[in-house]
Amino acid sequence: MRLQRTVILLALAALASTPALVLPEAWAAGGDEPGEYLDRRTEIWNLFFRLMVVAFTIGAIVSGTIIWQVWRFRESNPNAKPTPYEEKGEW
Amino acid sequence: MGGHSNWPEWIYIGVIVALLVWVGAEAWNVERLIEHVPEDAKVIKVTGQQWFWSFEHEDGTTEIGELHLETGKAYKFEVTSTDVIHSFNIHDYVVLMDAVPGRVNTVWFAPTEAGEHDIQCREYCGLIHYNMRAKLYVEDPA
Repeated sequence: MRLQRTVILLALAALASTPALVLPEAWAAGGDEPGEYLDRRTEIWNLFFRLMVVAFTIGAIVSGTIIWQVWRFRESNPNAKPTPYEEKGEW
Repeated sequence: MGGHSNWPEWIYIGVIVALLVWVGAEAWNVERLIEHVPEDAKVIKVTGQQWFWSFEHEDGTTEIGELHLETGKAYKFEVTSTDVIHSFNIHDYVVLMDAVPGRVNTVWFAPTEAGEHDIQCREYCGLIHYNMRAKLYVEDPA
């Protein structure tokens, strides 16, 4: 339970701290002065690049987890333990 | 589930939630940044109609099928339509905004280099949609 609480707290901390990390940088990049305008091409393509990195990271984690589960819990795995239901022949 | 350890699941959930929060914050922040129009941006009224674009500058001059802008200045487009829904797009500058009858949508950008760029309609608007194009000429200030 303590670990669960820690993980939930970490997730909530991430929720709370992300705007605090992002906003100062955003405010600093206001760029209203003539000749210092924001380049929307750069901003949008950089965002696209960052989001693709996250998308592929999540994709790798999810597909890696599924592949590991299939490998680890296959019936022929020497380490496989039958569930209580299987042991009792109830299924 | 007595004695069953599920800590990997919680770590998994924590990592995914943290990444999704970061994605949301970054997207929100970039959208906020690019929607913030500089106060000294020059206003250009953009009107789409089947099947051409017309532009009206602040001084009242109008252009049809071409638009002349200068580098180093910010321009705010007020985009509307007189007939059906169009979409105003300057692909090279990642400018894209729907032109909707009875509504004025705004988008801004600041050209950085002199050159020629295509303006096109990105919302299917009828028979000659494919050729609803204009030319953007970016010039250095005289």
